[in-house]
Amino acid sequence: MRYADPSANRDLLGNRTLLFIFICAFALVTLLQQILYGRNYIKRGLQFGWQSGDQLANWTGLFNITDDQAVQSGSDSSSRYFEFYEGPFEYNSTRCLELRHEILEVKVLSMVKQSELFDRWKSLQMCKWAMNISEANQFKSTLSRCCNAPAFLFTTQKNTPLGTKLKYEVDTSGIYHINQEIFRMFPKDMPYYRSQFKKCAVVGNGGILKNSRCGREINSADFVFRCNLPPISEKYTMDVGVKTDVVTVNPSIITERFHKLEKWRRPFYRVLQVYENASVLLPAFYNTRNTDVSIRVKYVLDDFESPQAVYYFHPQYLVNVSRYWLSLGVRAKRISTGLILVTAALELCEEVHLFGFWAFPMNPSGLYITHHYYDNVKPRPGFHAMPSEIFNFLHLHSRGILRVHTGTCSCC
Amino acid sequence: MSPCGWARRHTSRGAMAVLAWKFPRTRLPVGASALCVVVLCWLYIFPVYRLPNEKEIVQGVLQQGTAWRRNQTAARDFRKQMEDCCDPAHLFAMTKLNSPMGKSMWYDGELLYSFTIDNSTYSLFPQATPFQLPLKKCVVVGNGGILKKSGCGRQIDEANFVMRCNLPPLSSEYTKDVGSKSHLVTANPSIIRQRFQNLLWSRKTFVDNMKIYNHSYIYMPAFSMKTGTEPSLRVYYTLSDVGANQTVLFANPNFLRSIGKFWKNRGIHAKRLSTGLFLVSAALGLCEEVAIYGFWPFSVDMHEQPISHHYYDNVLPFSGFHAMPEEFLQLWYLHKIGALRMQLDPCEDTSLPPPS
Repeated sequence: MRYADPSANRDLLGNRTLLFIFICAFALVTLLQQILYGRNYIKRGLQFGWQSGDQLANWTGLFNITDDQAVQSGSDSSSRYFEFYEGPFEYNSTRCLELRHEILEVKVLSMVKQSELFDRWKSLQMCKWAMNISEANQFKSTLSRCCNAPAFLFTTQKNTPLGTKLKYEVDTSGIYHINQEIFRMFPKDMPYYRSQFKKCAVVGNGGILKNSRCGREINSADFVFRCNLPPISEKYTMDVGVKTDVVTVNPSIITERFHKLEKWRRPFYRVLQVYENASVLLPAFYNTRNTDVSIRVKYVLDDFESPQAVYYFHPQYLVNVSRYWLSLGVRAKRISTGLILVTAALELCEEVHLFGFWAFPMNPSGLYITHHYYDNVKPRPGFHAMPSEIFNFLHLHSRGILRVHTGTCSCC
Repeated sequence: MSPCGWARRHTSRGAMAVLAWKFPRTRLPVGASALCVVVLCWLYIFPVYRLPNEKEIVQGVLQQGTAWRRNQTAARDFRKQMEDCCDPAHLFAMTKLNSPMGKSMWYDGELLYSFTIDNSTYSLFPQATPFQLPLKKCVVVGNGGILKKSGCGRQIDEANFVMRCNLPPLSSEYTKDVGSKSHLVTANPSIIRQRFQNLLWSRKTFVDNMKIYNHSYIYMPAFSMKTGTEPSLRVYYTLSDVGANQTVLFANPNFLRSIGKFWKNRGIHAKRLSTGLFLVSAALGLCEEVAIYGFWPFSVDMHEQPISHHYYDNVLPFSGFHAMPEEFLQLWYLHKIGALRMQLDPCEDTSLPPPS
């Protein structure tokens, strides 16, 4: 009898097998990528068509318009943005309609080159912006159906009664029992109501704000949102203003810069004091790590007898908002605080102005800018999908729902 | 190819057999011998001894009476011993002088844990021991129930330097018995944990509670237990945040350890000395005259009447952690030789209602 070589069977991880496994894995990953992205691409396109509603009533119509324009402006394609530079155009002029469509035409970010998008955005700047009331109202009603900020933005005693088992946003298995101690920290009801403020400013921290001189315009808004405890000292007042009504604080900042408030607390209090009477907004129930730190903020302000209010994002609101933006193509591990604030502002204010929302390494003119207006610390890659969010804002701007400021301000 | 495989298997089995023959399974009961070793170690660390009986001690104290005369030489002798063993004037607290940055120290209440003084901790220490040495007349106030209705408040307040243990209440209802002055108050991290939730949440209650000890030093054994370090440092942060009058001093683990050794040599068998004894030892080394109040760890007073454990509550401590009766005997001995004065009788008779 002959036996087969026993060692041949044991060659489980030999060279050939390994190579085979690698090839298989590679093929599988590529296949998955193709499936996922491909399907998503189709879905996103469809949703934009659905979202833009009556303006882009049907696909064929849209393409017809753009085709015509392409024909019209085909002759002077090289210098077409520069010949009408005398003054701002009226909102409803045909030229502006055309420019707006050029932005809306870009369905996904990867459809055009970044420089191409920047060019289109830059040429749109010469049109005056005006709110498109019907469009805006429609968008806001969609938001109120999905997210309903005037009732669910913060945890309140009304929407989170005693004994509620609050679900965290990310740690879905995590549940927080609302006990008496926490319940007492919540406001009785939401302090804001629908369309309470005429003109709101949401101030992002983008490097585009540097030397923008938008301070006065921001200060002139009725209600100002700021993100992540930004510095508003003398040095920056000119560009970012001082008025603050709501400032969000990321618990990770407290953990890193203020030792989770387990050591000294006065430095943190001093930082908050700069914002005078601004309310402090924290994602306490985002994940389990944030809760303790966020609750401590309330204790700190109480201990120092500060008049500032502390509010916590309702986790369900965060879930709804991120779900909503996911349907508009913002695919990220987590949507940024800025996006949440803009969503809330759209419901709380009539007119929303965005400052410092620009997540590209260069400004629309192609000059490189810092990441924030105060530093150049890049965020963790792959966490937020900033360009995609900004891209959505540009769309909303073109549809007349909100206004994105990316240039320098000269007003007032 | 195939015979080779067979042969290999055969040899390996043979080798196993040889091993088994050479080293037979041990017959020695490993578990039993390990148990023996453990028991022996246990007896070595915690030797069996007879706790003095509470009744006997009280009887003895009553027989000997509380008559007392100061003995300068005895006090000086004891201070000399204290300085030789522990040097309280320099080592009482963690200071920049005795614990330079980068120095490695051992926790005195833990087995084999050390820490290194880093920049952030170093900046919390004062330059040197902040007392005006030598102190003239010191009083150490224990929290024994014997202080209740003693009326010793005025006597205690007469002293130059008053030390108290474990953040005792000093509200107006107790002032008559325990006085209102304090210059040094000890605080155990366990109290910070139990009463103030480790200062992780609201700190206002703590700051408000500290106000009664205006301008005293808060003396914290921060480096005795590993778990106590964070709360103790947090006490410092809290008080410095609000700019309180109190100053936080951290106990030096080397000082605590040497005092522990000192008393262990004199036959106090406890896992750890009580804060009171630490303070009395420090006071004996720092002050010219020492009087102690409220050191009476028994459930009956001198007239055999039951009393509470503390003058403010009757929460009994964990048994077997401190050896209070033995400590009392040592202090009683010092009282007898005249090195310190122990007040056991009421200072003014307040137990009787004033005659109408």
